[in-house]
Amino acid sequence: MDEYIVEMRHITKRFPGIVANDDVSIAVKKGEIFALLGENGAGKSTLMSMLFGMYEPDEGEILIRGEKVHITSPAHATALSIGMVHQHFKLVENYTITENIVLGQEPPKRFLGLLPAVDIKGSNKKISELSKRYGLEVDPTKKIEDINVSTRQRVEILKMLYREAEILIFDEPTAVLTPQEIDFLLDIIRELRNSGKTIILITHKLEEIKKVADRCAILCRGKLVGVMDVAATSTKAMANLMVGREVSFTLDKNPAKFGAELLNISNLSVKNQDGLTVVKNISFSIRSGEIFAIAGVSGNGQTEVADAIMGLMPVSGGTVMLGGKNITNLSVRERTLAGISYIPEDRQEVGLVLDFTLADNLALKEYFKEPFCKNGVLQSEAFDDYGNKLAEEYDIRSGQGIKTVVRSMSGGNQQKAIIAREIDLGSGLMIFVQPTRGLDIGAIENIHRQILAQRDEGKAILLISLELDEIIGLADTIGVMYSGEMLNIAPAETLSAHQVGEYMMGVKAV
Amino acid sequence: MNKERETAVKPLTRGFLKILGDEKRQSISIPLFAILLSILAGAIVILLFGKNPITAFLSFLQGSGILPKPDYAAKKSMLTDLLSMINMLTPMIFAALAVAVALKTGLFNIGVSGQMLVAGFVASVTVGYSALPAAIAMPLVLIVGLVCGGAVGALIGWLKHRFNINEVVASIMLNYIFQYVISFLINTYYVNQVSRQSQPVSAAARLTLVDVQAFGLKMDIPLAFLLTIPTALLVLFLLNRTRLGYELKIVGLNRRAAKYAGINVGKSMVSSMAISGALAGLAGVTLYLGYYNSIQPRVLTSVGFDSIAVCLLGNSHPIGILFSSLLITVISKGSNYMSSMMNIPQEIAQVITGLILLFSACGAYIKYRVSQAREELSDVKPKTGKASKAEGGDKA
Repeated sequence: MDEYIVEMRHITKRFPGIVANDDVSIAVKKGEIFALLGENGAGKSTLMSMLFGMYEPDEGEILIRGEKVHITSPAHATALSIGMVHQHFKLVENYTITENIVLGQEPPKRFLGLLPAVDIKGSNKKISELSKRYGLEVDPTKKIEDINVSTRQRVEILKMLYREAEILIFDEPTAVLTPQEIDFLLDIIRELRNSGKTIILITHKLEEIKKVADRCAILCRGKLVGVMDVAATSTKAMANLMVGREVSFTLDKNPAKFGAELLNISNLSVKNQDGLTVVKNISFSIRSGEIFAIAGVSGNGQTEVADAIMGLMPVSGGTVMLGGKNITNLSVRERTLAGISYIPEDRQEVGLVLDFTLADNLALKEYFKEPFCKNGVLQSEAFDDYGNKLAEEYDIRSGQGIKTVVRSMSGGNQQKAIIAREIDLGSGLMIFVQPTRGLDIGAIENIHRQILAQRDEGKAILLISLELDEIIGLADTIGVMYSGEMLNIAPAETLSAHQVGEYMMGVKAV
Repeated sequence: MNKERETAVKPLTRGFLKILGDEKRQSISIPLFAILLSILAGAIVILLFGKNPITAFLSFLQGSGILPKPDYAAKKSMLTDLLSMINMLTPMIFAALAVAVALKTGLFNIGVSGQMLVAGFVASVTVGYSALPAAIAMPLVLIVGLVCGGAVGALIGWLKHRFNINEVVASIMLNYIFQYVISFLINTYYVNQVSRQSQPVSAAARLTLVDVQAFGLKMDIPLAFLLTIPTALLVLFLLNRTRLGYELKIVGLNRRAAKYAGINVGKSMVSSMAISGALAGLAGVTLYLGYYNSIQPRVLTSVGFDSIAVCLLGNSHPIGILFSSLLITVISKGSNYMSSMMNIPQEIAQVITGLILLFSACGAYIKYRVSQAREELSDVKPKTGKASKAEGGDKA
């Protein structure tokens, strides 16, 4: 049995109203890449949180290197040489890379032989050596705020290595990376395994597992449904086990039936808060029954286009016409009433009031109208009825029904709530910004079907996504944005993924 | 790595969290815990003076008319003490409600004292010095108070909305301006040469009936107190059941979501500060044309500042505020009697009041820590961290 470095036996963890892990047993061998696969809310993160000392299991036991342990805190986990890279990085923005890495374990020295100080120079050297040894090159003196996402992730990995972690847990490490960066990260993970580390990879992306993992445990609704040898299992079989039903990878897309032009953007320019022009003189139009997708690498002005159409950002030039009416200077409320629905990129900070109940959030765009509000007084029955109706129609699941505080709901169900609310507004134009970010296959499939259904109902749809597959799969027309400009607009069938990718990199500048 | 120390959720913390209960129970249990802490701290101070803390706390209650004193002066009784305490309680309730309304919108109204002063001054010079009969003068005083306080509040909200001036800075600066301009006006036009305060307002305009003879007693009847409970209920209704309250709360919780929902964020902030200011105005007229009948120049009342602590102690909930106001007023009113009975210097009695206010603000801190600890417990994505001692979690 001593070949297993981590064993979790019969782990059960309950939260109020939900069993997050139900009698889950896994065993990880030393020096392998072990993947944990499952939908959002399947209990992957909870299971790893227990290994990392954030929670203690209600039942079951954990063995590290054959010894039974009670991991009471992340500090304790670190002492057992377990490290974790979180999905959301935990870095101090205005500290340098070195300072972030040594934080909490600063090598001391005496300044002028007297005053206690941190040996930053020595640390810089040490970090530099460490980063070279593992092929994770970084400039240790740079500040976190000046480096990009993939470098930040390297810093997180270095942080674990600095603490001499042997068991490395990666929580959804590729969610924030571009395809090239993902490949690079997977190489690093392989490299780490080859140097003797044990890796646990939490993910819901099947291709990644196929590429790097040796074995894979699949969780579905808190239960372990199987542990399999990755090489011997097909992607499709893993997907079915993970979702608990048959998954179709292809979307059934009906032929497009375009109607009249609904949205017309001409020469639109947008300046951000710092006065920089982030959207430069772009023009396009969307017909009803059409999905117009804007592709582009993150931060090239796509979200600003959506915000400008919705009225969340001021327009510095150009016009926005909706159904022949100039809406460029209308307020957000007026635009909503004119028929725009908006599924924002940041669902927690923009799309929802997290401390409100589900019912309150579902009425967020209509609370001021009858039947929700009469003479300035809110009608709680109307909120409840509407909330129950939408929750049932759109299968929004929550612990305590519509009285659940949205903060406690899973990401997938939060997004379902937003989409339900925005679809039910019945607007002619629907804007989806990154609608499937961070969601699992089942939820993504569901959202894609809803987007297509809206299109078939004759809605004009603006889809902004960083996922090239999503754009290729859904769009009728594709526009590619690079550095605030619209480089190319063409019918989807005339473009290959490869060509779109080139435009995204700004290679094919017109 | 920056949050390392908070990551270790100790068993002691867990047990403590269990006692405090879920969010609903916490709204009561945390203030009670804060009060308990403050009583303990007060008891230690009294013990340091070699006195019995229990008798001291009982004398607080005796001094404010909750418990009977051993003996009373002529025409005084427990009832007169109680009414006198209620007289002082009235402005405190309004002021704390003012703080609460602003807080729900994510704004911090630290200018309650200044708004009280403006309302009290304008009401004094317009109605207080007129010869209007009580039936007209009293409602008029209330209306002037509401309008003046509301106008000042709206100004602060507008400055925030239009020029993005932090409301705390604007309030503090306006406090100074009002304090000195009004003291200049009082000293120039309205000063009473004997008291060195503003001229007393007419009895008809004063919201407290003074020295009423009844049952062989001589008592002060604070009429405006009758308005406090309905006002608290009204504020509760406003916040929980009206469209405006719904909008204000969204603005307070998440400004970006408010904008996304189509709410006019600027207008909401102005409305919120106007309502807050109007309530502060009520506090002002009930203080300067009720509890007092004149204004002392160059002094900003402490009621407006104490009300912040009172509001937090009451969990920013209108009903909670009724109770927390009562508690703080009982203590500050009872402190005189306590100091004379226990032979503890008056200053020490004030120190104890201050301690209680301090710990009540600490309630907000406890709540913050509890919610933080809770978040860590329920956070699906745990935080990295390594405390200096690996066995840090094993204590207790």
